[in-house]
Amino acid sequence: MKFRPNAMEAVGALMVLSLVLVAILAPWLAPYDPTRAVANTFGDPAAPSRMYPLGTDQLGRDVLSRIIFGARISLTVGVAAMAVTMTIGVTIGLTAGFFGGALDFALMRFTDVMLTLPALLLAMAFVAVLQPSILSILLVIGLVSWTQIARVVRAEALSMTQRDFVVAACALGAPSARLIVRHVMPNVMPIIVVMAVLGTSGTLLLDAGLSFLTLGVPPPTPSWGRMIEEATTYFRVAPWLAIFPGLAIFYAVLGFNLLGYGFLRRRARAASAL
Amino acid sequence: MNMHPRRHTRSAKGRAISTRAAAIRRCRFALALIAALIALPGCRSGAPPPQFPPGAMVLKLAAISDVPTLDPAAGYDVDSWMFEQMIFDTLIRYSDAGVDLVPDLATAWESSPDSTVFTFHLRRDARFTNGRIVTSADFKYAIERVLDPATRSKGMEYYRAIAGAEDFAAHRAKSVAGIETPDAWTMVFHLIVPDPIFLQKLAMPFAAAVPREAVEKWGDDFSRHVVGSGPFMLKEWIGGQRIVLVKNPGYFVKGSPHLDAVVEAIGVSEDLQWFKFEAGEIDVSNIPPAVFPYVMKTPRLRDLTLRIVTVTTRYMGMNCQMPPFTDERVRRALNYAVNKPKLIAVLNGRGIVANGVMPPGLPGYAPGLSGYPYDPARARELLEQAGLGHGFAATLWMPADQTMMILGQSIQQDLDLVGVRLRLKAVAFAPFLEAVRQPRTVPLFFMGWEADFPDPANFLDVLLSRHQWGANNDTFFSDPRVDALLAEAAPLSDLARRYALYREAERIIVADAPWVFLYYPITYEIQQPWVHGYVLNPMRPARLEKVWLSPHPAS
Amino acid sequence: MLAYVIRRIVFGAAVLLGTSLITFVIAFVIPADPAVAMAGAKADPATLAAIRTELGLDQPIYIQYARYVDRALHGDLGRSYIRREEVAGLIISRFPATAILALAAMALSLALGIPMGMLAAAHRERALDNLLLVLSLGLVSIPVFWLGTILLIVGGLYLHWFPLGGFDGPKSLVLPAITLALGSAGYYSRILQTNLADAMDQEYVRTARGKGLSLRAAMFKHAMANAMLPLVTLAGLDFAGLLSGVVLTETVFDWPGLGRLAFEAVFNLDIPLVMGTVLFAAALVVIANLVVDLLYAWLDPRIRLGQQL
Repeated sequence: MKFRPNAMEAVGALMVLSLVLVAILAPWLAPYDPTRAVANTFGDPAAPSRMYPLGTDQLGRDVLSRIIFGARISLTVGVAAMAVTMTIGVTIGLTAGFFGGALDFALMRFTDVMLTLPALLLAMAFVAVLQPSILSILLVIGLVSWTQIARVVRAEALSMTQRDFVVAACALGAPSARLIVRHVMPNVMPIIVVMAVLGTSGTLLLDAGLSFLTLGVPPPTPSWGRMIEEATTYFRVAPWLAIFPGLAIFYAVLGFNLLGYGFLRRRARAASAL
Repeated sequence: MNMHPRRHTRSAKGRAISTRAAAIRRCRFALALIAALIALPGCRSGAPPPQFPPGAMVLKLAAISDVPTLDPAAGYDVDSWMFEQMIFDTLIRYSDAGVDLVPDLATAWESSPDSTVFTFHLRRDARFTNGRIVTSADFKYAIERVLDPATRSKGMEYYRAIAGAEDFAAHRAKSVAGIETPDAWTMVFHLIVPDPIFLQKLAMPFAAAVPREAVEKWGDDFSRHVVGSGPFMLKEWIGGQRIVLVKNPGYFVKGSPHLDAVVEAIGVSEDLQWFKFEAGEIDVSNIPPAVFPYVMKTPRLRDLTLRIVTVTTRYMGMNCQMPPFTDERVRRALNYAVNKPKLIAVLNGRGIVANGVMPPGLPGYAPGLSGYPYDPARARELLEQAGLGHGFAATLWMPADQTMMILGQSIQQDLDLVGVRLRLKAVAFAPFLEAVRQPRTVPLFFMGWEADFPDPANFLDVLLSRHQWGANNDTFFSDPRVDALLAEAAPLSDLARRYALYREAERIIVADAPWVFLYYPITYEIQQPWVHGYVLNPMRPARLEKVWLSPHPAS
Repeated sequence: MLAYVIRRIVFGAAVLLGTSLITFVIAFVIPADPAVAMAGAKADPATLAAIRTELGLDQPIYIQYARYVDRALHGDLGRSYIRREEVAGLIISRFPATAILALAAMALSLALGIPMGMLAAAHRERALDNLLLVLSLGLVSIPVFWLGTILLIVGGLYLHWFPLGGFDGPKSLVLPAITLALGSAGYYSRILQTNLADAMDQEYVRTARGKGLSLRAAMFKHAMANAMLPLVTLAGLDFAGLLSGVVLTETVFDWPGLGRLAFEAVFNLDIPLVMGTVLFAAALVVIANLVVDLLYAWLDPRIRLGQQL
């Protein structure tokens, strides 16, 4: 088996891309409206059939259509939450690493405190207070998962500020903002990209976990985590209700992980080749 | 009581925070932590389950949530009551399968024709499990304890009509003047207003006899060290794991109970309960929605089911102070728009379409009401008349619960067809109850009401009268005709007239439609073939003293 | 060394104080009236006011916070609104179940992860390495609650090998531990593989290899020692994290531990219990950090001499 890092990246990218396509093309791909009853299977879900390839649920809705539309929510929440995470983490990390001193100390101690707090519990508490909605969920996920990123970015930024060219530019009186944007950012960008891609798999799982605990995006919006939650009671008589959304989550998370590790390996290789 | 969606649990009353010495606490915390850590490697399986001698008759049950409390002054939910009625005795109680009153510790009772004086004669052979004989003073103490504001009992409101109760609650009197105990075996209650359902109020566990010495000894922790006179007594209660009751050998009914012990495993979800039932690990179980059709299609299992229509109504409340629900045409339209037979189908037939407020099984129930059939065309017509032909958006609040969420989505589908876009908002049960009580806050909500006692007043007065605004009338519905009828009916002991007035009030309410009348739930349970004498009650948890088990593989 | 130890302990205490502040702020913004939660919606205003005074809710917020910290230092985390038991007692009674689960999962994930990582490192950049990489990524990508549900159904319901949830004998530990361990196993194997690969690239290992030392000997003699240390650190920290990360697994398996207690607390907005469980979980992380730091300093004098905090 010949499987180079590029291949891993390629597979990961293909998986992610396919998800994005499914999400965008959902209205054309899905055979039915995901929120309407299309079969008379109230209270008694039906097994996969020719008409409903993945069966119908206890409200007569088509499972395949719900999974297809669920890609929209999962991707939106996953990616947007990651954007929030990165915004907070990168800002704090860069500021701390670049300016150092008391600011660095204060920000990093705050990060230490946040790191000790259990993320899922914190997210649950926040969502319970804010009431679940797409916006509140992606904000909350962002709020609880930025700490690792801040730490890594700070370390990179710190090492960068000690490089000759940055020290020189600083000595020449270049403004901090420009230094950060022109010199530090581009150099920490690769690690940021890798962390963002890997982090998205984390936010996807966190979102699914919240949905499973009924703290996800409210119905009728189809969400994979909630589909599993709604299906748990039917596992014995209608396992397909839970199996397929679970596979969908697995597929999405694996896609992002493959892509991220592919990047990581390529970097490691480039580094060892130097 | 308000019905919690899953186990109709209503949080029990709060207690004073104890003020023990901080030092003791610090030591205890540290010691307990150390003990927990030391015990860690050894306790691979938690505390060992209690052992019973071979041949002992042990009923095994399972429940999802812990019992909130065993203190009769505190409990106001089905889980607590189930155990409280096994451990404690009231003067009178409901019969095993019905809503009629039978003796418990009282052997006989009389009430004055105007329903203001109630006299009870107690049996003389009942003992608390600490050995002391139960007397009338213990019942008086129990009710005074409920009335004492420091106890913060949710049962307080039921005994406020006793003469002197208000003075006692305000600390103007040392005892309740209206409860007389001429001797150890006689009790007389004097009320300030006629109350034809006072007997039913005394059948609530709040009024169960408790020994003062044990309550005062344990204080806040009485719930963990209960002493009663009932057929069973508490043996072990490990929070989140199990509760074990054993037979009270000194119970005053000879030869009762049959069971040697009852063991309830706690923290077992409804699905797992079913799996355990199938494996023969528990004797009586709920049936989760998913397997219900399968059970009903399988004769062997169907024959093991028990069925009862509970004295409960489930409805979707519409806030009559919040537009567009101020318009009765809109409220009626929603009643026509919701496909109730579909809801019943989603529930696998475990409900009866509701046509009114009062459920069947409630004395005074009006079978003739026609209600609102499913008629989306009529709904659109009414919305058109109300100037809402283009539809509108509204938020439906509900307790966060799987079944409620599914029903909410079903209604969401229905209303979408008449142009009403429904947002679903799931909230934890306690904050949900708080929110619906605020004026102009919750436009639409799911609610259930389970009878506290078998009388129309418990539904119509409590849920739909003006004076319950901010308490249980969460739709803020008000109709002077209804209020007048309710006031007229309340003191009547003549049941025919009483019920006629209540039915008239209900007829007006149904026409005004402050609720979308959804359904009356049907409870199903399933028991192993070796369980005998287990009977469901439409209003109370099942009693277990007559239950016995024939020899079976798991014993 | 003593100075270092003291510094670390002070630092840990400071972090915990910060944690308590954040927890307190969260509790403060939760829109549930504790008095109503305790006395019920039918309670009259006088009773409610009495409860608020009793709980100190009429005091300014900084005094409330100071009182909370003071009581917490004395082991008093308040009483649960819903269960009306002492929060500290509830936590202690649930801790063993979670700790056992976390320990078992930790042992299992290391037992799986270490061989996987070593195997991958030994076959670096070859088919087996890639296969193991994909396998470990797959393990990391499975949603725990889904895996748990499937294991429960297959192992418990169809095969009858294990009990159907609950905490009842060693057998009941198997499925939840597997559920919790598989993801971490994938994670550890990746970390170990990376660390081993790095270590093998070190000059002295290369030299030793150049002198004819076998791959296996190089790995066990030189690389493992370097690669394992960070892994053990990580495992130590993860163990503390696991205790709070078991919410989903405990929910699936009806495991009577801290995770489910915390879930119930959040669900009922039972504020003292939410604060207590979050604080307890944070304290575990801080203690684990402290232990790991001190172990490190003991093993490697350079750390305690350096000025990093």
